[in-house]
Amino acid sequence: MPKEPTTILCIEDDRFIGEMYVRALKQANYEVDWVLSGNDGLAAAKSKSYDFILLDIMLPEKQGTEVISELRGGGQDLIPNTKVLVLTNFDQEDKAREALQEKVEAYLIKADITPRKLLEVIKEL
Amino acid sequence: MAVRQYHKNFSWQFLGLFIASQVAVGCMVYAWQDYAHTYLNMTHPFLMVVIPFILLEIICGSLLLAFIVRPVSKVEAALSYAYRSSAENEGILKDLPSLIRAIRHLDAIKNPESKVTSEHAFASSVLEHLPLGVVIFNQKREIIYANSAAPTRANGKELNIAFSDNDSLEGWLNSVAEKDISASRWWKRLRQAVSPDEEKRQFFDAFAIYHQEGTDSIETILITVDRTEQYGVDEDDLDFTALAAHELRGPITVIKGYLDVLSHELDDKLTEDQKAFFERLDVSADRLTTYINNILNVSHYDRRHLNLHLKEEKLKNIYASIADDLELRARTHHRLLNVSIPDTLPTVAADRGSISEVIVNLVDNAIKYSNEGGLVVVNANAEGDFVKVSVKDNGIGIPGSLIGHIFDKFYRSHRSRENTVGTGLGLYIAKAIIESHDGTISVRSDEGHGSIFSFTLPIYATVADKLVKSDNSNASLIKPKKYIKNHSMYRG
Repeated sequence: MPKEPTTILCIEDDRFIGEMYVRALKQANYEVDWVLSGNDGLAAAKSKSYDFILLDIMLPEKQGTEVISELRGGGQDLIPNTKVLVLTNFDQEDKAREALQEKVEAYLIKADITPRKLLEVIKEL
Repeated sequence: MAVRQYHKNFSWQFLGLFIASQVAVGCMVYAWQDYAHTYLNMTHPFLMVVIPFILLEIICGSLLLAFIVRPVSKVEAALSYAYRSSAENEGILKDLPSLIRAIRHLDAIKNPESKVTSEHAFASSVLEHLPLGVVIFNQKREIIYANSAAPTRANGKELNIAFSDNDSLEGWLNSVAEKDISASRWWKRLRQAVSPDEEKRQFFDAFAIYHQEGTDSIETILITVDRTEQYGVDEDDLDFTALAAHELRGPITVIKGYLDVLSHELDDKLTEDQKAFFERLDVSADRLTTYINNILNVSHYDRRHLNLHLKEEKLKNIYASIADDLELRARTHHRLLNVSIPDTLPTVAADRGSISEVIVNLVDNAIKYSNEGGLVVVNANAEGDFVKVSVKDNGIGIPGSLIGHIFDKFYRSHRSRENTVGTGLGLYIAKAIIESHDGTISVRSDEGHGSIFSFTLPIYATVADKLVKSDNSNASLIKPKKYIKNHSMYRG
C-alpha cells in the first residue's frame, strides 16, 4: 500500500461501470474522484494533479478524444505527472486509435478488463 | 456497363468522322472532274469520276482503319475484358497485351511535351472519355500520364489510393521487377487516400500491368474501376457493426465486472458449487467477448484493414496472457488442458493480441468439439524458419467431405449447429490473422477420433530486416515509457 494515497480520476458516464471501478479501486485504497461527463472530467483534471486518469471515449458534452487533446494537444502536456488509461468499448478506426494511443499510457477494451485486471494494470504502470 | 456506353459514344463520333471523310472525297472528286475537263480535256466517266472515287475511298478507308478504328478497337476490347473480369471477380487477369500495344500504338503519351498532333489529340480524347482511370508510370515510377477518371492528387503527380503497407503497388513492383519481364494483378477494395469529405470517400478496384521493355518510357499501367457505390454500403455496414459491438460490449463489461467483484468479495462465503457457477458465468461472458471480437476482426479483414503490428514476441508470453482464461474454460467444461510451449523456442514476429485470439479460437473449438473429460493438448516447436503451434483434441473430428470448408466464413461443422454455439467466424478470422503474419494454418482430422489444428509463425530473426525496413508506422507504437496497448493481455 502506498504511503501517500494514489489519486485516480475516473471519467465514465455509465453508472454501472463507474460504480464498479470506483468500488474496486477504493477497496484497494486508492483515492478516487468520479465524474460523468467530458467537461467535468477536463475541469477536474485541470484543477487537481492526479496520478491516474481513467478516460472513456464516448462521453456526453465532450468526447474522451477531445478531453485528451485539450490536456495533451498542441505540443504541450498539462498533466505531465499523470498516467492516462483510455478505457473504451468503442471500436475506433485504426488511424484514430493510433493517434490517441500516442497521447496516453494505455488503451484498453473495457469488456476485456475486469476491475481486478484494472488494478493489475495500474500497479504495472 | 460503362464500357458499352463508351462504345456507343465512340460509334457516334466515328460516324461523324466517316461522314466528314465522305464529304471530303465528294469535294475532291468534284474538283478533279472540273480540273480534268477544263485543263486535260477528259470526257470519259471512268477516268473523270469512278477511278478517282475508288482511289480516294481506298486511301481514306486505310487511314481511318490504321490510325483510328484498329487501335481504338484494341483499347476497347482490352478494357471490356478488364472491366468484365473485375465485375465478375474472376481473380487476377493474366495479361492485357492488346491494351499495351494499343496504347503504345496511339503513342500520345510517351513524350507528353512533344508537339501535339491530331493523332495525339484524338488519343488523349479517347483516354479522357474512358469511364475507367488510366495511370501510366515510367521506369522511375513517376506518373507520366493520368486521365481525368484516375484517382490522383498533386496535379496528377501522385496516386490518391491508400494501399495497405504490406500490399502496395510499390511493393509489388519491387518484387516483380526483380524476376519478371511482365506481370499483372488486381487489388480489390482500395480506399481513396485523401478525401475532402469523409462521407464521399471513393473506393476502387485496380489492375496493374507491368512490362519491362528496354528504353521504352512506359513501364506500368494502372487501370482503376470506381467501386464506391458497391463498397460504400460496406462502410455503412461497418459503422453499424462498430456501433453494435459498442452496445454489446457495455452489458458484457458490467456482467464480467460485477461477477469479478462479487466472486472476490464473497469468496469465503461461497460453496464449491456456487464458485463453479460463477466460473461458468465468467466463461460464458468471455466467450461472448470472443464472438464480438471475431465479428469486428472479420469486418476489418473484409475491408483489408486487418492492421497488425508485428513485434518480437515469445510464444510462451503470448500464451501466458490467455492461460488463465483458457484454463477456466477447460475446467468449467470438464476438459483437461495440457500445454507444452518450451521457453527455449526462438522468438516470433507476431501481433500479440491477434495471435492470442487465434489460440483462444482454436482451444475453444477443441473444448467445444471434444467429449466430457476429453484432453486438449497445445504444443509448440520450431520447424525451419517457423514456429509451429498445434492444438489437438480427441473429439468428434471432421468428415473428409467437409474439411475443405472448415476455414470458410460462416461455416459451422456438421454437428455444431445442433450442439454448440458460435458464429462460424472463428476459423475464418484465425486463417486471416495467420496469413497476415506470413504463416499458414491447417487441419488434420479423423472423424470420431479428433482433430489437430496447426499454425506457423515466422521466427523473428528471419524477418527482422524486412519488418524494420517495410513498416515505419509500427515505430509510432513503440514508446520509451512503459506502455500497454493490448487489451487481450488482460482478458479475464
